[in-house]
Amino acid sequence: MRIAGIIHQQICQLRWHLLACLGLIMVLPVEEGVVNLRAGSGFYSLSMAVVAATFGPLLAGLIACANVQGDLDEKRYIFWRSKPANIKLLMTLKYFVGLIASLLVLACPVVFAIATVVLFAKERIEREPMYSAPFLALIAIMTYSLCFACNVLVRKSARAWLIGMLLAGLLLVLPFVLPLNYRDFVTDTMRWTWSAYLAIVLGASAAAFVFSLYATQHDWHLRTNLKGLLWVGAGLLFVLMMLFSSQVANIKVLDEKQIDSTRGWCTLDNLDNRTIFQGQSYVDVDKGGISLRQIGSFSNHESGVSSVHGSLGIDSAGRRAAYSSRPIGYRTQNYPRNGHLYKSVDGQIYSFSIVAYYQIEREDRLQKRIYEKVYLRSYKVIEKNGMPVNELDELDISDCLTKRTDIFLPVMRLIDNVIVACVNQSCIVVDATDPGELKRIDTKLDVLKIPQPHYPDRQKEFSIPLVPVEGIGTEERIRFSIDLNCGSHYGTIDICESSIVAVHDGKIAFFLVSERDIARFDVVRWDQENIYCKFSSARPFTILEGIAGTPDRGQAFVERGSLYCCGYDTLLVFDIRSESRIRKLGHFVRMDYRIEDIAVLNDGNILLCTEWERNFSRSDPAKRKKSYLCLLKNPG
Amino acid sequence: MFRMILWKEWKENFWKLWFCGAASLVFTAMLFRIRIVPDYANCIVISFAQMFIVPVVFALDIFSGEMSNRTIHLLFKIPVPRWMLFFGKYLVSALGIVAIFLATSALMELMTQGREARVLFLLETNLLCGMAGLLLFTWFCAFGCQSRSEAGSLAIMFAVFAGWGIVLFWSGLCEVTWAERFVPYSLMLFRITKIGALKAVFSQALAFAAVLGAACYRYASIRRYL
Repeated sequence: MRIAGIIHQQICQLRWHLLACLGLIMVLPVEEGVVNLRAGSGFYSLSMAVVAATFGPLLAGLIACANVQGDLDEKRYIFWRSKPANIKLLMTLKYFVGLIASLLVLACPVVFAIATVVLFAKERIEREPMYSAPFLALIAIMTYSLCFACNVLVRKSARAWLIGMLLAGLLLVLPFVLPLNYRDFVTDTMRWTWSAYLAIVLGASAAAFVFSLYATQHDWHLRTNLKGLLWVGAGLLFVLMMLFSSQVANIKVLDEKQIDSTRGWCTLDNLDNRTIFQGQSYVDVDKGGISLRQIGSFSNHESGVSSVHGSLGIDSAGRRAAYSSRPIGYRTQNYPRNGHLYKSVDGQIYSFSIVAYYQIEREDRLQKRIYEKVYLRSYKVIEKNGMPVNELDELDISDCLTKRTDIFLPVMRLIDNVIVACVNQSCIVVDATDPGELKRIDTKLDVLKIPQPHYPDRQKEFSIPLVPVEGIGTEERIRFSIDLNCGSHYGTIDICESSIVAVHDGKIAFFLVSERDIARFDVVRWDQENIYCKFSSARPFTILEGIAGTPDRGQAFVERGSLYCCGYDTLLVFDIRSESRIRKLGHFVRMDYRIEDIAVLNDGNILLCTEWERNFSRSDPAKRKKSYLCLLKNPG
Repeated sequence: MFRMILWKEWKENFWKLWFCGAASLVFTAMLFRIRIVPDYANCIVISFAQMFIVPVVFALDIFSGEMSNRTIHLLFKIPVPRWMLFFGKYLVSALGIVAIFLATSALMELMTQGREARVLFLLETNLLCGMAGLLLFTWFCAFGCQSRSEAGSLAIMFAVFAGWGIVLFWSGLCEVTWAERFVPYSLMLFRITKIGALKAVFSQALAFAAVLGAACYRYASIRRYL
C-alpha cells in the first residue's frame, strides 16, 4: 500500500471541508482588517483573529468527523473493509493528515494577524493576545482526537461531533470541579493548571487515537439515538453543576430578609445568647424566619433622655455621637468604628467605646490628624433608634498617647467584666462590672510593639510576645496576644468581637488565612514574655475556591470547633477539631453582594449581614443599595 | 387533515419539548437557588444558552429525520398540500420553543419575585431571547428544510448563528443601523443599543414573514428525496 497515495486520497477527501473551514475562520479577521483600513489604522487584524482562532478547536472537530466519515460511513465501510489494506496504517495516516489540516486552519488567522500587524499596522501594536494560540492549538488537538474517536465509534458526523465536544468540554472543566488540592494558588496554580491541562490534553488525545485504531480494527460500532444522546449530555452537565455547587455553594439559605439600613455599615453583635443588629434591634430567629425587635421602649423616664440625645449630635451617616463635653475645635474618632462593645446587666444593655479627639494640622500642604485626648466611655442603650445616647461614665486614658502623635491604633476586648484596651503601644485593664463606674485596674505604657500582619515561618518554631497586663487569666492573655499579633489588622473591629484562637482538649491553636491556604499553628509553650508556636497543618484552597474568591483579606474567627472565614462576597466554614487536618464544611458565595458582618447563632446557624449595590435593571434609582439579613444553615 | 398532521408532529417532537423544558427548568431552578451570580446574570446566561440550544434541538431532525428515515416519500403521498406539511412541522416546533421560554421565564419570576431585578425584567429578557431563538429557527427552516442529514442541519444552524453574528458585528462597526434591525439578536439589545423597539419589531416581522414564505416554498419544491 502506497503511503503517498493514501495521503493524496485523504487530502482530496478533505479539500472542500478545508476550504469551508478556512472561509469561516478568516471572515472575522478580514472584516477587522477592512474596518481598520477604513479607519486609517492600516489593514491589520488582531482581536478578531484571536476570536476566530478560538473557533479553531470546534472546526478541528468538524474536520475530524468529515475525515472519518469519508471512509467509514455505512456503505463505504463495507467496500473499504474488503480491500487488502493495513487498517492501523490507514487510520494513522488519516488521523495525522486531518490533524495537520486542522492545525493549518487554526494557524491561518494567527499567521494572518502577525503578518498584517508587522506589515501594515501604522502604529506599534502589542501582540499579547496571540500568546493564547499554543493553548488553543493544544485544545484543537484534543477536540480533533476525541471527535475522530467518537466518529469511528458512532459513524454519524453530527452526533460524533456533539459527543466529542461534550467530552472535550468535560475534560477541560474537570480540574476545576474536582476538589484537587493544588498548592499555592498564586504562584503554583498556573504551573499546576498548565501541567494538568497538558497532561489532560495530550493524554486524552493519545488515548483517543489508540482507541480509534482498535475500534476500527475490531469494527466497534455504537448505535445511538439523538434522544438518548441529549439526555446523557444534559445529565453530564447536571453532574458537573452539582460538583461545582458542592464545592462553592453548599450552604443552604434558610431565610433572607431585606432590611432598612440607614446607618451605613451593618453590624451584628452577640450578647447574652442574643444577636443585636446595628445596636438597635434584637434579631429573633424562629420557624417563621428572621424578625427584628427594637431594643428597649419609651417610658416617661427614657423619653426624657431624648433631650440628651438632642445635645449629642449625629453625623450625616447617622452613626456617630458627638458629645456635649467635646472641646471646641476638636474632631472625634470612635472605636469600634461601626459598632460598639456590648454588655448586658440585668437585662439592660450597655456599650463601650474608645473616643479619640484630634485636631487637623497642616504641614507642607499635608493635613495631619494630631490626637490629643482619648477616653473610654460607657453608655446605656435605651433610645428607640438604637443610638447609645446616655453617657454613663468616662475614663480618661489619654496617658496611653505617650507623645503627641498622628497615629491612633485602638484595640479593645471585653473579657467577663474586664475591658482590655490598647491604644498604640500602651495597654490598660478596666473593671467594667458596673458600667456606670469604670475602674482602672492596670496600666502599661509603651509596652507593645505595633504588630504587622505576617505569616510565620512554617519550618521552625516562632514566638509571639505576650501582652504584659494583669487582671485577666493566662488563657485569655494568650488568646488576646495571638489575636493582637497575628489575627487581625491592628485597629479593625474583628479583635473586639472574635478570635482566631481555638482551645480544644487543653491545647491552644490558632489559624491564619492566606491567599493560598488556611494554616493551623499550635501553641507549644509560653513563659512570662512570649508564646512559642509551631506550624501544624494546612488546608490549601482548590482552584475553584480560588476563582470564587479566597477570604484572605476578610474576617476570620473560631467558634465552637469551626473556623469561619469571610471574604468580600464569600464565606467558608472549616472543621478544625482534628489536629491533623482542616476539613471544609461549607462554602457560600454571592457575587455583587458585600458581606458586612457575620454572627453565629446559638443553634449553630449563621447570620450574615449583606449589602447589594448593583442597580442593573432597577427602575428606582433611589434604591441603589439594599441590605439583607441572610440566615444560613450551619454546614457542620 | 391538518389536525392529524399536527398530531403526528406533536407525537414525533414531544420528546424535544419534554427534554428542553425539563433541562431548562432544572438548570434554572438550580442556578437561581445557588445564586452564586446575581439574578440578572443568571437570567442572561440561561436565556443565551436556551437561545442557542433549544432551536438546535428542534432543528436537528425536524426535516432531515424524514429524509434519513426514508419516511418522506410516505409523507408526501398523504393527500395534503406540502405547505401544510411544512406548517405542521413549523407550528409544533415554534409552539414548543415558545412554551419552553414561557415556562422558564415564569419560573425565573416566581423564584426571584423582584428581589434584585425589577419585577418582569427577567421575564422580558428571557422572552426576548425566546423570540430571537424562534427567529433563528425560522431562518434555519429557510435554509435547512431540504437538508438530508443531521450533520447538514447542524451545519446550517451554526451557519445561521454565525452569519447573523457577522452581520451584527459588521453593521455595528459600520453603523448601518437599518441592517441591525433585521438581526434576530438585536431583539435582546433594545436596552443597550440605539435600535428603536418599534422599528426593530416591524423589521423583524417583515423578515419573519418573508423567510417563512421562502422556507415553505423551498419545502414544497423538494424534488429529489430518496
